[in-house]
Amino acid sequence: MAARAHHKSEERLPVPPPKDSVASSEVSLYRNVLKIKQEHELEDLGISFFDAESTIQWSYNADHYFHAASTMKLAVLLGVFRQVDRGELALDAPVHVRNRFTSIVNQEPFMLDLGRDADPDVYGHLGKTLSVRELSYWMITKSSNLATNLLVEVVGIPTIQLALDELEIDGIRVLRGVEDQRAFEAGLNNEVTANGLLKLLRLVADGKAYSQKACDEMLSIMLDQQYRSGIPAGLPKEVRVAHKTGNISTVHHDAGIVYIEGRKPYVLVILTQFAAETGRGTAVADVSRDIFNALAGSAYE
Amino acid sequence: MNEEDVEDQGLKVVDAFDLDDELRAVLKPGEMVRDAQGRRHRLPRYFYEIPSHEVALKTRLTPHFGLNEFVLADLKEASRLHDYPRYVPCAVRLLAFYLEQFRHAAGASVHIAVNGGYRSPSHKLSQNATPHMWGTAADVYRIGSNILKTKEAIEKYNELAEDVSDEIHVLPYGHVTGRHADDHVHLDLGYITLIPREISEDRMEQPQENRPRFAFEERRRVDRRAATVPAGEE
Repeated sequence: MAARAHHKSEERLPVPPPKDSVASSEVSLYRNVLKIKQEHELEDLGISFFDAESTIQWSYNADHYFHAASTMKLAVLLGVFRQVDRGELALDAPVHVRNRFTSIVNQEPFMLDLGRDADPDVYGHLGKTLSVRELSYWMITKSSNLATNLLVEVVGIPTIQLALDELEIDGIRVLRGVEDQRAFEAGLNNEVTANGLLKLLRLVADGKAYSQKACDEMLSIMLDQQYRSGIPAGLPKEVRVAHKTGNISTVHHDAGIVYIEGRKPYVLVILTQFAAETGRGTAVADVSRDIFNALAGSAYE
Repeated sequence: MNEEDVEDQGLKVVDAFDLDDELRAVLKPGEMVRDAQGRRHRLPRYFYEIPSHEVALKTRLTPHFGLNEFVLADLKEASRLHDYPRYVPCAVRLLAFYLEQFRHAAGASVHIAVNGGYRSPSHKLSQNATPHMWGTAADVYRIGSNILKTKEAIEKYNELAEDVSDEIHVLPYGHVTGRHADDHVHLDLGYITLIPREISEDRMEQPQENRPRFAFEERRRVDRRAATVPAGEE
């Protein structure tokens, strides 16, 4: 298979090529992806994939920008470890846990709705401190918005964007923390493409995001992800996935590194967008399963 | 440091002019700073030296307030001030006294937030002079089990604090960023500088190493012992 980005204008089911060819696998995958998109009534779907074992790359609509939702937390994690790696921030440094932030619009103060942010591990420490390491952990593993905004305050948006620029990661735009309603209403949102997130994850998987040590720490956190209804739901239980999900009412994303025993990992990003009334369904898991099947050549269900 | 050492050591009062260059640079003793209204205030010069975390935990300023509660800070504080020995202006004991009265009036435990007690002039939140830099202000984020995040709760406890004493000044809901959001009660005593009785303000009088080491904690303990131990036993 060769790297390819398909576009919505091309979305007619292709004629199957001869069986057992690389092209056959690719076309089969493409047909399945379109089918999933239709079945789940997705407004948009973006997929990017790279297999380190076979060096196969595959993508669909992978440069299209989506609302990042919580996948932006991977960029925050990168920014944190940039500072740690440079000795400008200690993972053990204490951070005051407080629920008061400043909007990027007019510097209006705002607070998170802690009822929605189900992370007592963080908001149970209101008024006290958590370390940078602990906040990073809860930001990724339980997608804590409170931890995220605290870390964004610690490192700053310019540093996060600088980290992305330094590592030449296009396709991730981080403007703000989370739940900044004023910014949302003004259309100022964090955005990602499937290719952008894939680049970030490949650098981490390859130990090239600042240092091997930094990458090991980031991977260790991502492997403890507690929300597993995305990529892992389409895989056998024994497969380990270092990943980060992203959900709001109209998007469901997952971006991860898939570790299968006895082979090099593959990196997969699946971004989905749908009408709020449609709900998120199982599209991400279904795509994950199809990719796994295409790679393994198995009939895993 | 074991418990016996902590008991024996007491708190040393230091003239911050005698501290090393790095500490003087972050504590800025005696320097003039402007508050948000442009008024000038002279930063404190006399500090309690806290030799260790254990001492901070064990030293009670009042029955319900430990010294450690007034020096909790996160990475916004200058990194040098996270290392022991640490320093807190001597006026912190006055703040503790008034907080004890406030606690009694509230009928529940009063929790000082991280960065809510003493903040050095080098703390990232110390852009203008604030009584936090004198050790005479507290940001309270929780009273009993009530986390202070609503306008109603904050205004209720603000009124209570003002009723405790005319010396206590509070700031209105949303005082930092203006409107719509707040997460603590701020109360302070103003810009009070406390000079311990044992200290001579003449810096040339005697070298630092020969100055009295006894702070109020040790004095109190000695007083208590004198009242309970028969003469000649110690």
